[in-house]
This record gives sequence, structure tokens and C-alpha cells, in this order.
Amino acid sequence: MQKLLTPRRTILKGAGLAAGALAMPNIIRSARAQEKVVNVWTYANFIPDDFKAKFENDTGIRIQIRLVDDQGKAFNLLTAEQPNPSVDILTIAGHRFSQFITSGLLEAIDTDRLSNWNIVNPVYRDSDWIVIDGKKWGVPILAGAEGLAYNTEVVTPEEAESWDVMFDPKYEGQTAYIIQDFMSVTMLYLGYDGNMVEYKDDPEKAKAVVAEARDFLIKHKGQVRKFYDAGAEVQQMFINQDIVLAQAWSGPISKLIMDGFPVALTIPKPGSYGFVYNFNIAKNAPNADNAYQLLNAILGSPEVGTAMTRSSGYLSTIDGAADGLNDLERRASSLSQEELSRLTFFNTEADQLKYSLVDPAVEEIKAA
Amino acid sequence: MMRPSQIALTTFYWAFIVYLFLPLALMVVMGFKDSNFIGFPINAWTTRWYVQVFQDTAVLHAFGYTLLIAIASTLLSLVIGIWCAVFLGPARFWGRALVFAVMCLPAVIPGVISAISMRIFIRAIGMEPGTGAIILGLTIHNVPFVALMVLSRLGAMPRSQVEAARDLGADSLVAFLRVTLPFLFPSLLGASIFCMLLSFDDFVRAFFLGGYQPTLPVLIFAELRSGMSPAINAISTVVLVVTAALGLWAERGTRRLKGTRR
Amino acid sequence: MATTSERTGNDAALIRPQDGTRGFWTRLTANPAYRQASDLLLSSDRRRFWLLAVPALIWMFGTHLGPILTMIRISFMDSYPPTAGRIPEMTLENYLLFFQAPNYITPFVRTFVYSTCYTLLTLLLMYPIAYFLAKKLRPGRQMLFLLLLLVPFWVGEIVRTYAIMILLGNRGFLNIVLMGLGLTSRPIPFMYTGFSLGMGLVYLTSLYMLLPLYASLEKIPRNYLEAAADLGAGSWTRFRRVTLPLSKDGIASGCVLVFLISTGYYATPVLLGGPSTTVFAETIAGFFHVAGDKWPEGAAFSTIMLLASLVTVGLFLRLLGRRRGNLLG
Repeated sequence: MQKLLTPRRTILKGAGLAAGALAMPNIIRSARAQEKVVNVWTYANFIPDDFKAKFENDTGIRIQIRLVDDQGKAFNLLTAEQPNPSVDILTIAGHRFSQFITSGLLEAIDTDRLSNWNIVNPVYRDSDWIVIDGKKWGVPILAGAEGLAYNTEVVTPEEAESWDVMFDPKYEGQTAYIIQDFMSVTMLYLGYDGNMVEYKDDPEKAKAVVAEARDFLIKHKGQVRKFYDAGAEVQQMFINQDIVLAQAWSGPISKLIMDGFPVALTIPKPGSYGFVYNFNIAKNAPNADNAYQLLNAILGSPEVGTAMTRSSGYLSTIDGAADGLNDLERRASSLSQEELSRLTFFNTEADQLKYSLVDPAVEEIKAA
Repeated sequence: MMRPSQIALTTFYWAFIVYLFLPLALMVVMGFKDSNFIGFPINAWTTRWYVQVFQDTAVLHAFGYTLLIAIASTLLSLVIGIWCAVFLGPARFWGRALVFAVMCLPAVIPGVISAISMRIFIRAIGMEPGTGAIILGLTIHNVPFVALMVLSRLGAMPRSQVEAARDLGADSLVAFLRVTLPFLFPSLLGASIFCMLLSFDDFVRAFFLGGYQPTLPVLIFAELRSGMSPAINAISTVVLVVTAALGLWAERGTRRLKGTRR
Repeated sequence: MATTSERTGNDAALIRPQDGTRGFWTRLTANPAYRQASDLLLSSDRRRFWLLAVPALIWMFGTHLGPILTMIRISFMDSYPPTAGRIPEMTLENYLLFFQAPNYITPFVRTFVYSTCYTLLTLLLMYPIAYFLAKKLRPGRQMLFLLLLLVPFWVGEIVRTYAIMILLGNRGFLNIVLMGLGLTSRPIPFMYTGFSLGMGLVYLTSLYMLLPLYASLEKIPRNYLEAAADLGAGSWTRFRRVTLPLSKDGIASGCVLVFLISTGYYATPVLLGGPSTTVFAETIAGFFHVAGDKWPEGAAFSTIMLLASLVTVGLFLRLLGRRRGNLLG
């Protein structure tokens, strides 16, 4: 009996040993929990290994990084952890601030504790979207835009100068967009305020605007090959030539350009919206002091900004970050002056109103 | 002796295998593409992604960690699943259908719901997120599958063997361990393979219940944000080859076991 | 030539095996402490029942129901997470939301229709495979062929799904081959349709259908079929009147599993589906995903879907009529 059971037992034993050996560093690490730590939730490759090693050496604070891959999951996880979060620093996009703040998940940033605060480009540092209730809520790290991405072998730059091209019957069934983001853009396209701040005190008007945008998109639903959610999807769609036009975030498209794919991104007329990723501090963060130290160190290290741009394709807010990029990377991730002038940042002041109307509209478009 | 039905069925099987393996073949091939994205045409080839799999400590750690968790949760699921099956199997009592439904519950709740509610739940029982929580979450999810597979085999067990053992003086526990359990072996094998599969492929539970060490699926999802790359395909190919090799080894071992049993 | 004692040796081996484990079991059953415990706990049917039941019930009702009850509690709140210092009100609003607008009912109905169709499709596809494995192969080969089928499932869902994308895309493998062979001049848009969705889903659910089918087919004794053949039944009749009815359990379990699980799939429909294939799981996930405080609505919708699924399955099993043999005993 025993002899015959051996093959299976040894396999299990062997696999277990191997797994244990590979996992060992982490088991040991979690056992040394008494050390000084700072817990960060961020995207892959945002904090480069050498920076991490240097910081840990210089300050004795260990950085524990937990990989999140989108805002929604970060929100869910943080919500599930209330009222005692395990995280100190989060990575949240400016236009999601309202959701996190009204749920009481964040702490305002005390900029006096950041000696390197002025290294951040004033365009972001002093902008209106970052201020809610008179306080600043994030440390900007990356800037992006909702742009029009197009396959340069099929669509001409002239065609791409206006959002009209997304509704051009010539490209029927060859476009894609993220419905929620595109609703804001469509409202702007139709001549309204996509941030809906103007209609904050006029719910009737707000409803009418959203309804008009929704009906417009339903009318042109035939243009759409797919409603997507994530950067990786739109990248794959371009590569597979399933689409030639898309509303897309500038980051993923920059990465495609960096890889040599014939795609370009513009900010067409009449304009579009921009957003900024930030590092934020969680409310009741267990290691808030260490968090400020880390934030300050990041702001003072342009190579972190370079790494973030290289990994995400977005523009770094840290001075000097672009110097570390090569020509192609720099060209891919930046926008011309004229295009920048067409950008407004997302503003979350009217978010409660906006999303209470937009989210059902999204479902209606999907169901149409 | 190939009757028409034999030919038809064999062809159907192999056609299905082609359907299953075609995307896999593409995945393997894409791991050799010299680019940051996958897709056709492939203009340049490279082996650096496959080499990188063995050099990237983050990937290796994640793989080992995932394997550890998978084995632990499989063992736990087997024990609990067998217990539940033995409890539910032969017994007749009021409310049996209800208990059966409750047992099946974790298998039918969508992943994200189950993961989020588990996250809140473990807080309520005073547990910290991390390895233990992931193992618990996976076990809870896997137990219904184990129980179902064991139940179906249990129903086919000839009562005579157990009765004979009892007549010969064994009490229920000994009879169970020495007669029932060996009889259940094929379904246990199937159940453990199933559990390993489910644990390895799980993202939601590992994400919501885990700590700072990512499992392999969590790591892959995070990398995915930069786009589906040949690197990710290479990692998956290596994982596939390793687990297929383990599976073949286990199969060979159990074949010897089964051979002597008959 | 075997003597009597040698021939009965195998039976005796059950209680007195010839190798080293003999010592353990005999010693165990002879041990007075063990004997006492065994008499106390295992001596009557009733005691055995409760011994088994108590831990099992504690586990099941604790861990299986616990998370669901948490969800249900949240579904009745008007906001989550609760803002500090405020007790959330209990409300039925979140449930009413479902019935208020057609844009929720549409994906809901669509999901159930889809799931039913895909369940049937998977059944039709996997039955021949299970039959092939259980009936047409020697037992030794069965394991190998089964393992071959299992191998693709070791690859994560996401990577597999992207592989399907580059298989079916406009510039994907299939189109390249078709155009290369001259069968078509323009790429065929396979992706983001019901077809691509089905292909991806069958990939995911086939295992859940195959294993129960295989298990139930494998149990059908060979001599039943031989007897039927002796009585003059042709192969189709044998199948229809012997094999099919005896595999009812497997069909039932497989269909139930696949149906329930497919209603919950979110990632694959999102990646492979098109503008007209939104499934309800997507709608639910949407509540947990977007820039709004929507957990309670998501929880309510999940509860609705869970109830509807369970009711559907209950009806299906009731329809099957007779007791389901080995499934519930």
C-alpha cells in the first residue's frame, strides 16, 4: 500500500517544498511586521525597484506595494476595509475624488508637510479640480486626456480634427468608446458642460442634457463595434484591426505609439476632458507620517516620474521626469500646445448629480 | 474495428481538442513576439520574454505563493467536502434539500459578490486579510464541487463492502477510512484536480482577501493594465507546461496505483 | 495452484493485511481509549448522524450563509459605506430600482435566455465527448484523454480570452488563414458578437458539464448494454433506452452547474461580447465599478439574480420529476 501511494505523495511533497521555497521570502517578511512600513496601493511598475531600495535604505521604512489594476477595485477594497484601512497611500484619478471623499475614505493632503510640493507643475498643483471644501486632496503624479485615437493608415489627420468623425457613416461599426467617459465628451460636443457644474442647481436642465446626449448616442449606436472598459482592450482592438477609431485614454495609446504601431491621438474640436492621477492618503491610515515621507521623496525624484510615464504612457507632473525618456517615448506621451488648450479637466463638484443621471443612461445605451 | 459511430466520436473528440488548444498555441507563439503587445503580424521574434520568466523574482514568488495556496486550499476542501458529502449522502431527514442547497451556494454566487462579502465577513470574525483568508475563501468556494463529486460516487458504492467490514468487527470510523475512502479515490482525484484548477485561476478572492504578496492571477491583472504583452503570455505558457508536467507525473503514479487495485 | 488459504487471502487482507500497516489498525481498534470514544460516538445511527451533522452544519451555515447575509443586509441600506456618525436607513428602494426601468429587465431576461441556450449547447457538445471517454476508450486511456482535455484550463481565463481575441479578430489567426486561402477577400468580423461570446463561454463551462456526464456514463455497467444487444436492440435503440435514461443524473447535475455558473460570469462576456450582448452580471458589476456610491444597488440586484437562478433550477429539477438518484439519494 505504502509503496504505491509514494508517487502521489512525493509529488505533493515535492510541489509543496518547491512552492514553499519560492514563497519563503514573503512568509518571512510578513512575520516581521513590527518594522516601520508604509502601505501603498498602486499600479504595476509605478515605483521602480531602485528607488524603493534607496528609500528603504535611507529612511528605514519598508514600502509594501499592493497591486491594483483599476479604480473601481480600489474603491471596493477600501470600502470593504472600513473603518480601519490597511493602506496609507492610494492612487486615485482626480475625477473619482468625489466618490471617495463623500464616502469618507480619504484624508486631505497637508501640503505644508511636503517640502517638495512646489516641484509639481502649477497647472496641476493650483487647479480647481484638486480642491474640495477648500482643501487639497491629492498629490498629482500623472496627467492624461480623453482623446480621439485613430489608425493613421486609414483615417486622415484632417478627419480626426473633430469628434464628427466618430459619427461618420464611413466608419460604421469600426469605432469604440467607454460609454461613461464618452457621455461627458458627447455633452461637450453637443454644446453643453460635460462636467455638469453649470447645471448643479438646475436638475431639470441637467436631466435634459443627459437625455439628449444619451439619445444621440443611441441613434448612432450602429457606429460602435464595442463598448469597452479598459486600456488593454482598446489597444488589442487597434492591433487586431477590429476598429480604426476610438475615444481612448492617452496613456494606453501612447504605449501603442511607443511600440511603433500606426496610431495617433488628438484632442479634437470642440475639445475634451483631462484627468490627473494622484497619490492620496487614506483616512485613518495606519502610517500617515511615513506616507508623507514617501510622498516627499517621490516628488523629489524625477526618475520615478520617468518610470511612471514609461509604464503607463501618461504625462508626469514632476519636473524633469521627461528628461529620462527617449525621443519616441517623449513624442508619444506629450500633446501639442494647441491640443492642450482644448482640454478642460474633469471637475467633481457636480458628480453626485452627474452620475446619478449618467449611470442609468449608460445602462440604457447598452440595453438599446 | 472502427464502426462509423466510433469514427464520428473520435473525430469529434479531436476536433474539440483542436478548438481548446488553438488559442493555447497562439498564446505560446505570442510569447516569442518581439514587441510589447500581442497580435498579428509578427515581424520580429525573441526569446527574451521566456528567459525573463525565470529571472523575474516577482513572477517566481507569485507562482510559488499561488501553488502553496492552491495545495492548502485543496487539502482543506477535500476534508470538508468529504465530510459534508458523507453527512448528506445516506442520511434522510427533514430539510435535507435545504441543507443541500445551502451547501451548493458558494458555487453559484458570482465571484465579485462572494469576494467582497467574504472580505467584510472575515473582519467580523476577527481575521486579517492575507494567506489564511485567501485559503479560507478558496476552500469555501471549492467545497461544493468536492461534495458533489464525492456524493455521486458515494451513491454508487456497493453497501455490501461496508457491511462486510462492520460484520468483521470494524466500527464506522474504521470502516469509513478503510473501505469507503479507498472506494472514493477516483472522485477524490478528480475533485483535487478541480480544486487546484479553481484555485490557480482565481482572481477575485485573491485580490480582495489577500495581503501584499500577489498571487499569479493578481500579478497578471496588474501587468495587464499596461496592455496584454508577450511577457504575460510567456508566463502563462510556463505555468501551463509546469502544471501539465505535474499532472502527467501524477497520472502515471495513479495508474500504477489503480492497476494493482484491479 | 492456489490453496484455499491463499485464495481467501485477499479477503483476509482487508482485516489483516500482510504489510506493515497491520499493526496500526489492530492496535487502534484494540486501544481501550479509542474503544470508549467509538462506543460513545459511533455506536448508534443517531449518534453518528449528529456527530457528522453538527460540524458540517456549523461550517455550512456559518461560512456559506454568512457572506450572503452580509450582502443582503447591505442591499437594504440606503448608502454604503456608512458615513461616520450616521445610521443608514433600511429601504426597499434598491430592489424597486430593478423593476422601474426597462434597461435592467432587458439584460436580466437576456442573461437567462443566454444561459439556457448555452447550457443546452454545452450539453450537446459535451455529451459525445463524455460518451467517447466513458464508453469508447479502455479505462487506462480514459485518464490520459481526460487529462488532455483538462490541460487548457490551467491557463488563466484572461490570457485565454485574449488568445481568443487574436484568434478571431479582424487581423486574427482565423481571418489571416481564410484570406490566405482565398475564401474571403475582406476580414469577417467574428469578434464582439454572440459567436465570440459563445466560443469563450463554452470554453469556460465545458468542464463543469463534462465531469458529471463522464462520471454518470462511466458507471453504466457494460453488461446492461450487452444484454440489450442480445435482446435484439440496435445501437441507436440501446442508446436511447439504456444509456440516455441512466445518464439522467449526470445531465441534470451538469446542466444545473453550468446554468448557475454561467449566469455569474462577468469577465468573459465583457471582453468578448458586443454592444448588444450585455449580460446581467455586467450590470451588477457595473454597480461595483463606477464612480458612484452603488454597493447597495449592486447587492440588491445580486440577491434578485440569485433568487431567480435558484427558482429556475428548482423548477428544472422538479420538471425532471423522479428522484435524482445519486445526486440527492
